[in-house]
Amino acid sequence: MSTTAPTRERTEEHDDVAEPDIPWVVIVWNDPVNLMSYVVFVLQKLFGYDREKATRLMLDVHHKGKAVVSSGPREKAEFDVYRLHGHGLWATMQKDR
Amino acid sequence: MAGSFKRVGNDRVRVRLGHDEVAVLRGLPDQLRTVLGAGEDEPVNRRLFPPAYLDVADIEQDSEYHRLMHDDLVKEKLANLDLVTDTLARGSSSVRRWTVELTDEEATAWLGVLNDLRLALGVRLDITEDYDGDVDPSDPNAPAFRLLSYLGWLEEQLLGALRT
Repeated sequence: MSTTAPTRERTEEHDDVAEPDIPWVVIVWNDPVNLMSYVVFVLQKLFGYDREKATRLMLDVHHKGKAVVSSGPREKAEFDVYRLHGHGLWATMQKDR
Repeated sequence: MAGSFKRVGNDRVRVRLGHDEVAVLRGLPDQLRTVLGAGEDEPVNRRLFPPAYLDVADIEQDSEYHRLMHDDLVKEKLANLDLVTDTLARGSSSVRRWTVELTDEEATAWLGVLNDLRLALGVRLDITEDYDGDVDPSDPNAPAFRLLSYLGWLEEQLLGALRT
């Protein structure tokens, strides 16, 4: 039994890895027309957040220009973006890296 | 004009508006329907149906998102417009006011339509910074700014009623 150093290939990244196990984040961007109270209402309605959390996220959007409002696998993030678009919020999704 | 929307039961919201207000509102749904049918390059539609994926690496996924979701999003907006049009035609008029009672579904449709109308006006007026509601009377767009402010005021009233 000789010891063999692990081959380098094992740790090398392969381009054919289809979906890296990285969650996606859903971002709401600041919008000059949407009412602050409307954004709070939509975040509560779609994600079940309490008024305090929804207000905090809305204020982040307003003051910092954007906020992460949800995260998860790609399908879930896409569904959240779809619902946000349905309510007129400017939402996008990206890998959380 | 205080108190245009009032919760009057578990799933009922009462709307009370002046006749001039209803006349303005009745003219708006068809304008939005026209815009929705104007194609993806129409600037308002670019705002109403923004990209889901910003990263250039995800551009194919964004095309797929729009291919799968766009028609459903348009359908939702058209359904909201139909509900609003129906309720605007329903109502009852007294000498001073027009009144209608909305179900929760109808009230939600009103909220969506008011918001879509404001987003559309925001694009038309090229609003890029937070708008404080002030209107410059000498601006040729003053009527559109006034409409935007009015619709925002209505939307706040409706949100207040829906929260109670």
